[in-house]
Amino acid sequence: MLLSVALTAALLAAMTPEQRSRNIESFDYVWTTIRDKHWSMPAGLDWDKVRDELRPKVETATSASQARTAMLDMIGRLKQSHFNIVPQDVSEVLGDAFKSEHSGEGDPGLDVRIIDGHAVVVSVADGSPAQQSGVRPGWVIRKADAVEIDPLLRKISAVIVEPRTRGLMLSRAVLFLMQRSAGSTIKLEFLDGANQPVAKEIRAIDPRGAAVKFGYMPQVHIWFESAKKDNIGYARWNMFMDPPMLMSRFGDAVQSCKECDGFVIDLRGNPGGLGVMAMGIAGWFISRPDQKLGVMKTRDSELKFVVFPRSEVFANPLAIVVDEGTASTSEIFAEGLKDLGRARIFGSPTAGAALPSVFERLPNGDGFQYAIANYIAEGGKPLEGLGVTPDVEINLTRKALLAGHDPALEAAFDWIREQRKTK
Amino acid sequence: MRRFLLVLAGVACAGFLHAADEPLPKAETLLDGYVDATGGRAAYEKRKSEIMSGTIEFAATGMKGTVASYSDVSNNNYTVVELEGIGKIESGVYNGQPWESSSLQGTRLREGAEKADAIRDSTFNGPLYWRKLYSKAETVGVEDVNGEAAYKVVLTPNEGKQQTIFLGKKSGLMIKRVATISNPMGEIPMEMGMANYKDFGGVRMPASMTQKVMGQEFSISVQDLKTNTEIPKDRFEPPAEVKKLMAAK
Repeated sequence: MLLSVALTAALLAAMTPEQRSRNIESFDYVWTTIRDKHWSMPAGLDWDKVRDELRPKVETATSASQARTAMLDMIGRLKQSHFNIVPQDVSEVLGDAFKSEHSGEGDPGLDVRIIDGHAVVVSVADGSPAQQSGVRPGWVIRKADAVEIDPLLRKISAVIVEPRTRGLMLSRAVLFLMQRSAGSTIKLEFLDGANQPVAKEIRAIDPRGAAVKFGYMPQVHIWFESAKKDNIGYARWNMFMDPPMLMSRFGDAVQSCKECDGFVIDLRGNPGGLGVMAMGIAGWFISRPDQKLGVMKTRDSELKFVVFPRSEVFANPLAIVVDEGTASTSEIFAEGLKDLGRARIFGSPTAGAALPSVFERLPNGDGFQYAIANYIAEGGKPLEGLGVTPDVEINLTRKALLAGHDPALEAAFDWIREQRKTK
Repeated sequence: MRRFLLVLAGVACAGFLHAADEPLPKAETLLDGYVDATGGRAAYEKRKSEIMSGTIEFAATGMKGTVASYSDVSNNNYTVVELEGIGKIESGVYNGQPWESSSLQGTRLREGAEKADAIRDSTFNGPLYWRKLYSKAETVGVEDVNGEAAYKVVLTPNEGKQQTIFLGKKSGLMIKRVATISNPMGEIPMEMGMANYKDFGGVRMPASMTQKVMGQEFSISVQDLKTNTEIPKDRFEPPAEVKKLMAAK
């Protein structure tokens, strides 16, 4: 949301009276929905006053972008995650820097995190054009086509109110910036391991995983991978979506590892998805009935995130790896199992963006995401703004990446091996 | 014409005044009246099985899917909801044991108050048996439901929480139900609206239903409802994972 505010560029197209009317209707819908559905308005926030201040801006807006900016300003006053206005054409909101070439869902096969203020490659997909071009983990991305990355990161960073979400939002912005239609190319400039500038022209490929549509939410691609290393199970997926595929494959991964010494779930970069899936996956690791990950509190009711144990539960040690890209459902899952004493958490602190939300379509065609509840983890801690603090905090460094190491994951595997020895 | 209308208006006003002073009808009169309004005891008793298919939609969020349910006089039932982007959510009652299985949350047996609710709701031709299903029924007032005056009846089950139903004063049909869903996840308030009653095999049933739960609303439209079609016995058998839980109980 704040990213959108920061990058919003005014569109000059004049609006018809009908479009203006739809924008006002949309503003009123957003304002009323939050008034009626927010579980507890932040102390000191005068919502009527916010409407009185910002509605005139929508009434006099000369573009859809201006109207949207006023709506984003309104929901920004809540200072909470999971409130967003998404334009019909996503590239519209991100301004010229994102608009020039961006037209597809493909990518060059890189994953990125922000380390010491720079966009650093943390993984390169096997067989991807990025790998074929020789890009390596630890390289710093300096430029994507005409866009200088570091100044862009500073610009976005300056308007992020909640520091805990900074890593998540900045890395997502860089990944979004590198999206192209499959088959087209992107010019990327890097600093390599020896801090030498390297320029690569890399082809974008179709995004990994199957396309999934969920209501009015923009289409996403979902993938899942699992492995068994040294008699330790490992699973990773990019979002808690596509339950038929994900839950089935996760179940297969656990059941094919019944005798494993432990299991590692890698939630780094996983921004969440369908909250109830956290309960479904936790059911593979919790054998006692009536255990819960936490409680979702709406205005008029509470929903306990109860775990329903599977008929065959995996009982050996469980490690979960997280980072600043771990958000929402991923945080609900990790903190819940940590609080229940079932999992040990490795990595860096998570985003603290864990409010359950829904996604609707506004009269003007934009998408409207709004949180409907607060979420309190089983240990009594609200996750919003606080996130998950790992049991073993290991922050990723460029040096480790360049040396071919993944310290958090290695620590998780080492811990399970230690448990095996002491058994 | 104008005078005619005014006369009618006077009659209507007189009717309202009379209604205000009128004692509320007994709940048993209303509940038996509901059976009559929907086709009568004999029509219900001819029904031995039911297969329903329809659509489900969360209008605000754009989620859509299908729903199908099977039930018969054995009081076994099976319901499957398939939602785009979510997958299958199955539930049922099999030999007195309610269960649920979904791609989201896995598999579980329903117990306690939730079990009692599920068994009560799965009673085939339920309206005929309200005296067995509820220990107490009381008419507590008249309320407007979407512009229609309705008697408000509070039902107290033998086990579980009270629920309130609203029966149209003129039609005698149930047009709203307010209840609390008892679930391990919590006590969740639920409101359901019923409309568009149609004759399905001699009994009138709502072809349109809307349900509000935790601020979200979805609607179900019945596309087809067949009665007295043979249902294979294995249709009610739960998935293997549910059977494992039943066996381990």
